[in-house]
Amino acid sequence: MMTISRRQFLKGTGVAAALGSVAGAQTFTPGTKGGKRVAMVPTNCEMCFWRCGVMAEVADGKVLKLQGNPHHPLTNGKLCARGNAGIALLNDPDRLKYPQIRTGERGEGKFKRVSWDEALDFLGARLKELKQKYGPESVAMFPHGVHSGFFATLMKAYGTPNSAEPAFAQCRGPRDIGYQLTFGRPVNSPEPVDLEESQCIVLIGSHIGENVFTSQVTAFADGLAKGAKLIVVDPRFSTAASKANWWLPIKPGTDTALLLAWMNVIVTEKLYDKDYLDTYASGFAELEAHVKDYTPEWGERITEIPAAQIRDTAHAMADAKPGVAIHPGRHVTWYGNDTQRARAMAILTALLGAYGRKGGIFLPTKLAQGKIPLPPMPESEKGRADRIGNLYPLASEEAHGLTQGLIETTLSANPYPIKGWIVYGQNVMESIPTRQKTLEAIKKLDFMAVVDVLPMEQTRYADLVLPEATYLERYDPPAIVTTAKRPYVSVRQPAVEPMYESKPGWWIAKQTAKRLGLEAYFPWTDPDDHLRRLIAPMNINESELKSLGAVSFPGKPYIEDRAESDGPLFPTQSGKIELSSSVLKDLNFDAIPKYEAVEEPPAGFLRLIYGRAPVHSFTRSENNAWLDDLMAENPVWISTVAAQNLGMHDGQRVVLENQDGVKSPVITLKVTTAMRNDVAYTVHGFGAQSAGLKKANQHGFSDTALMTRIAIDPLMGATGMRVNFVRVLTEEKA
Amino acid sequence: MARYAMVVDKERCVGCQSCTVACKSEWDVPNGHARTRVRSAGTNGTYPNFSSVFYVSQCNHCDHPTCVPACPTGATTQEPNGIVTVNTDLCIGCGSCVVACPYGARYVSPATDKVDKCDFCAARVEQGREPACVETCPAKAKIFGNLEDTSGRVFDLVYRKGARRFETREIALGPNVYYVGKQEHLEMAAASFSPQPPQILAAGFVWTKLAKKMVFLAVGATFLGQAVAFFRQLSVGEKQFED
Repeated sequence: MMTISRRQFLKGTGVAAALGSVAGAQTFTPGTKGGKRVAMVPTNCEMCFWRCGVMAEVADGKVLKLQGNPHHPLTNGKLCARGNAGIALLNDPDRLKYPQIRTGERGEGKFKRVSWDEALDFLGARLKELKQKYGPESVAMFPHGVHSGFFATLMKAYGTPNSAEPAFAQCRGPRDIGYQLTFGRPVNSPEPVDLEESQCIVLIGSHIGENVFTSQVTAFADGLAKGAKLIVVDPRFSTAASKANWWLPIKPGTDTALLLAWMNVIVTEKLYDKDYLDTYASGFAELEAHVKDYTPEWGERITEIPAAQIRDTAHAMADAKPGVAIHPGRHVTWYGNDTQRARAMAILTALLGAYGRKGGIFLPTKLAQGKIPLPPMPESEKGRADRIGNLYPLASEEAHGLTQGLIETTLSANPYPIKGWIVYGQNVMESIPTRQKTLEAIKKLDFMAVVDVLPMEQTRYADLVLPEATYLERYDPPAIVTTAKRPYVSVRQPAVEPMYESKPGWWIAKQTAKRLGLEAYFPWTDPDDHLRRLIAPMNINESELKSLGAVSFPGKPYIEDRAESDGPLFPTQSGKIELSSSVLKDLNFDAIPKYEAVEEPPAGFLRLIYGRAPVHSFTRSENNAWLDDLMAENPVWISTVAAQNLGMHDGQRVVLENQDGVKSPVITLKVTTAMRNDVAYTVHGFGAQSAGLKKANQHGFSDTALMTRIAIDPLMGATGMRVNFVRVLTEEKA
Repeated sequence: MARYAMVVDKERCVGCQSCTVACKSEWDVPNGHARTRVRSAGTNGTYPNFSSVFYVSQCNHCDHPTCVPACPTGATTQEPNGIVTVNTDLCIGCGSCVVACPYGARYVSPATDKVDKCDFCAARVEQGREPACVETCPAKAKIFGNLEDTSGRVFDLVYRKGARRFETREIALGPNVYYVGKQEHLEMAAASFSPQPPQILAAGFVWTKLAKKMVFLAVGATFLGQAVAFFRQLSVGEKQFED
């Protein structure tokens, strides 16, 4: 065993003690690595957005090891591969290290290093200038993640209503709107799916296992171990499918038909939860009439799933009711009709009596949360530039806006010009489809600032690049989570001082506010003060929160736990579960979802679909040395039959060409028997175009780059992205 | 006395590689190597009826480890609690144990030129913690414990629930990593990852590596007293330098 000298030991504790200023309360304990004494700093992970509880073991100002935080009520000491690899992000030699101002042409990649003072003065001056010339609405913000709140406040105070995150129109928006229309509240994150208590789990496109959020994997494995039946609907035999009782390799784009056929079985055979529907739901008679003709035989013709199997799986759900967990999914922007598909999933959940019931979808529990009083925000007369209220009636501002809408407006100057972009932690090139448009829009800008940890492609086009500290080096607003069985608050607090000249986001926003004369919108003195104000009404011990990382409260997850005082069970317009939606009826949309066919791939083309790998988070982790070691590129998967038709073999080097002639770089073909013949699948997030990312640059290919077409959901403006088709060319022919 | 063992539940494992990275972080495992790995056993069946399963591998801490006699310097030994360890002071990095292991559980670290492998996180276990891979596993697919604790989960899974060892008729060393799961899944993994016959490294190669060590040892034996004093001074000096 390694021994350490007394002097080293004292040095270690000395530094650890001094760290008190970095993170409030800590416990000192022998760490696991070589028995060194370490400070244990609990914080929230940010290798993805799930915010699992982490314990950072810190000695000599360095993070030695990340462990799961056993006190965290949601994640209970578990961490995924990415969470365990957070140290390799912290120590990534490619990090943005100091502020930079562009000196060359936009996109040329020439910058000069400047001080923070110079950088922030520059930012302040440019923002003032834009406001004067074009009005504050001419600046749009592209944030990502809950911690972007500081920048949201800054930009609102500045006077622009224009902010949009891909979380809405490129991810979970349709799902949240669909469930809100049905049950009166969005699904939210983390999804309150009661997998561990479920008798029957239904995954439609969700690929838990490859898509890893630790607590969701734990609940999934627990539920299956307790005997839950599993139905997996996916064109590809996923990891989840390998654990399923039924794998339904559905024809892509036909999920709503399957859902309607399931409803047909459950309604016509009277397998629904009658008492529950009688008590809580409206519109059953309409639904009954609506689904009459959607028989399993009809469903088979559309979905290519045998009618008998549609019946069997409907019966399995009915047998398990109300403990049926139909996972609402997360990234659901597929075909431009996604809100209606989410509605169909919600209605099926309601028929089975599963919303608010053990083993189904559980209810959120409110938490008292402190509000920091701010001066009134300026009102914009011009309104939002993406015109979401007018073009897409159900896209609300609170739901993050439309990224592609802001890009369109930047290009068209209609309804008014957008001349400046502030990008905070969002990858605008890779998370929004039709990237050619994004690039053209950027070229029209007077000013673009990017705040990021790594030199993503977009930094090359920026006028100003500000290096943010990683999650292990900064304070962020606490996670206040209501969609957990025990609602909780958990903190992100710095484990170590920021490396290089990087700075935490809260500091950057507050300092910028100072330059703009908006200090009054940042009335808190420091992170401790900010945290204290937010948790004030929770009646918890601040030092306990900081030393344990999280504090949880009793929850009321099921209908039987609720009292009148907890508010309405179903806060829809009617106060009931709306099987037939009054809102949609008023807006002249289908009040109950219909099946609408989506465009088929032309001859010789495959539909491009995509998913996740457990060791990567979108485009954020490909440069992580430990994760790159496990997966450095994304092959394209096609079926054995499709490969035979092309005369191609596993491992061959190929090029994909989409319907508009856009080609991928040369990539590796993976051939599998366990997939439909009409799709090409890959893992999203690869193919970075940034020389600064020395590991990730040009590793694999970008599926986003092949998404030159989108199908927009008329209800809320989400961009369906599974409407692109590719053909596979040999390296020589390409 | 404890006798440690691990059980892997194949039905729980989702192949997320959380264990691999937790282990890498705990033991500074260099890129390109692993103390514990997760691999897919491929896909069996015909459309649309398939099976697939993950296989989690690491040192098995065998009852009759082939690596121990293969080691020319006595660096690899087995503790009474069953844990097979490598004494890096004695290891010459010759790789004899690497090829002697039927499970491919060992590697020569490019960082240290010594052999490295899973030791069931002995240091963590001493502290009363679970091995890093077990503690972090989101699917709770790895269970670690004392095979002699009749009230423990490992005992239950191994002696009552039929957890299976991955060995063949030819290669039966008594591995102490067990697997539970559907018979079909166990067979798939066994077919893809069955233990390979231990190899013996060419004597010449070992000898060149060993020769350096032998000279060193001979010098030590002749001038034992002086040598001890000399090395003590050296190591003290090193520490001061480190500070």
